[in-house]
Amino acid sequence: MTLTIVSLLPRLQNTNGDAQNAHVLAARARWAGLEATVVDVESAQALPSRVDAVVLGSGSDSALEPSRAALLTMHDELRRWGTEGVPILSIGTGWELLSWGVELHDGRSIEGLGILPGRAVPRAGRVTGDLVIAAPRLGALVGFENHARDYVGAEGSPLGRVRAGHGNGRDSGQEGAVMGSVYGTHMHGPILAKNPVFADHLLSTIAARSGQEYTPGEQARTVDGYAAAARAAQLAVAGVSVPVS
Amino acid sequence: MRYAPAILVGRLTRFAARLRKPGGGSAVPGLVVNRIAPGYLKRTLSGFPQGLVVVSGSSGKSTTTKMLVAILRAHGVDVFTNPSTANISQGLTSALLEQADWRGRVPGDVAVLEMDEGHGALVMQGVDARVVTLMNVMVDQIDRFHDSEMVAGMLARIAARAGEAVVVNADDAYLERLAARVRPGVAVHRFGVAQAVLATAPRGLGYTETSESRLEIDEQRPGVRVESVDGRSATLDDGRDRVTTSLPARGVHYAVDAAAAYATAHAVLGDRFSAKLTTEALSSIPAVFGRGERATVRGHEVDFVLVQNPASYQLNVDSIAPGTEQILFAVGSDVRDPSYFWPTNAASLGRVSVVSGSKAAEAALMLAYDGVAIDRVEPDLDRALDDFLAMPTPANGVKTIVFTADSMRRTRAHLGLAGAE
Repeated sequence: MTLTIVSLLPRLQNTNGDAQNAHVLAARARWAGLEATVVDVESAQALPSRVDAVVLGSGSDSALEPSRAALLTMHDELRRWGTEGVPILSIGTGWELLSWGVELHDGRSIEGLGILPGRAVPRAGRVTGDLVIAAPRLGALVGFENHARDYVGAEGSPLGRVRAGHGNGRDSGQEGAVMGSVYGTHMHGPILAKNPVFADHLLSTIAARSGQEYTPGEQARTVDGYAAAARAAQLAVAGVSVPVS
Repeated sequence: MRYAPAILVGRLTRFAARLRKPGGGSAVPGLVVNRIAPGYLKRTLSGFPQGLVVVSGSSGKSTTTKMLVAILRAHGVDVFTNPSTANISQGLTSALLEQADWRGRVPGDVAVLEMDEGHGALVMQGVDARVVTLMNVMVDQIDRFHDSEMVAGMLARIAARAGEAVVVNADDAYLERLAARVRPGVAVHRFGVAQAVLATAPRGLGYTETSESRLEIDEQRPGVRVESVDGRSATLDDGRDRVTTSLPARGVHYAVDAAAAYATAHAVLGDRFSAKLTTEALSSIPAVFGRGERATVRGHEVDFVLVQNPASYQLNVDSIAPGTEQILFAVGSDVRDPSYFWPTNAASLGRVSVVSGSKAAEAALMLAYDGVAIDRVEPDLDRALDDFLAMPTPANGVKTIVFTADSMRRTRAHLGLAGAE
């Protein structure tokens, strides 16, 4: 059975290569001997009949409205996937759109889809830089953040505790939001490549739901060696020392 | 007279800086003069008899500026221009000081300046330009420019300084929207590619948003269109003349740069413009170091390929012949976070001999997910270069070094290659 990874709105929501996380999942699944494919979905019509995981990246603020309109056509599906335990990884403004809502600097607000608890609120000035968090079960997650809003209301179920960087802000000391297998994070770019433990956690869920088993392939060992070196360099720059796992 | 003391101080600073570091310290005199005579830059830039021409945008502005200067000089125009490394305010002032007399006056009929899109809006405050040329909107530095809206906004502020004409890339939807909002009386000239040319770039030209339709030229819409690109040769059409020119390197983006320079020269020269002189000037531009250049190093032919942003990365990687046996791939500290390169696809490389540079691990991670086999990761660039060049001559293809700007500078220094910028 072919695993189908949906890359949601890659045209509007792919700042900094966020959408490539879908390809990371598919590549690792193939290295493990599973069949996997990535389907780009820009509108509800393009949804495949089977969905094993969803990746929704970040976009510019001008894309918030059109992206929301496109997501609304898939509102039922998103709710159903969230309830059924289909892993959904949302990043940056993609996450904000899945929240209760986005409050903009000019006082307007955009209603979210309500898949994840919490909302995005304005902060004074943009934050960019390395973001390192300690996540339960996943250990240290390393990424790069670039956002102009904080996130409130996820205090009961964050992705992890901030070790370096800003994260959700408002003195929460937390980063991201998790509900079941739905994840929201500020970590841009190919975080699943940089954090293979996170990728493999999602892949185990995906495989189990489809009645298969996931064991990282031989190629993953080589590639994860590059990830480990990249993580080590970034952790050193961020001034975080963590046990290497 | 008013700037004489500041100029003197600037000169002395430059002298001192060169004693300390031969060939270097070029921005310091500008910094000093900007501090003690804050109006100097503004006043001098606005003071050229035939005006100021500014070239900005995310990618291609260096090449376009060089081409435009060559075209104007071929028409007998005395041009002041800035080296591409001096495209922010202190560097710009330093460049002016190089040419200034003791009162600070800079000779030249017209100034052609390459302007950094980030600093340009600030530098251009209160400066009047005749013509502003905008290349494209791309987001190529995640930690510097946060999104394309921001880049477009900065370019709009630069364009607002144009009194006579703006020249925009018609294939860039952001710039087309910007052109629709120019002040009354300001002419819009355009450049772009024909559909057939766009079709040869399977992943597009790298603009954040590509226009739906291609440029059509007529009396109301002056412009230049790239009709075809064949290796280092391109055919341009301005609605009256159709010319074929050689390019400084292979690639559609160089043809676009040539079209931009051509269209800008037309806007600047008006009736004095000659398509023949323009073509000759474009064809006389030497190949650019690191941009598809081939050199003989330590007894081997080596191709140097510079990648500056996702667009040039994709175009240049695609232009490397499949099956090229020996490739060194170096990403340096100029790339703060390589995430924005991930949407590109380097699968066509197949195999890379050495991945190097201070971001070697990040680069290897990205290549590996593209399905590229990696023989070795060696973060020490000097060692990587030595070992790579010591490998026997490849049976297939030429030794090819792909690098970012920082790694290019280090490579150049290590191999003792002349700086071409």
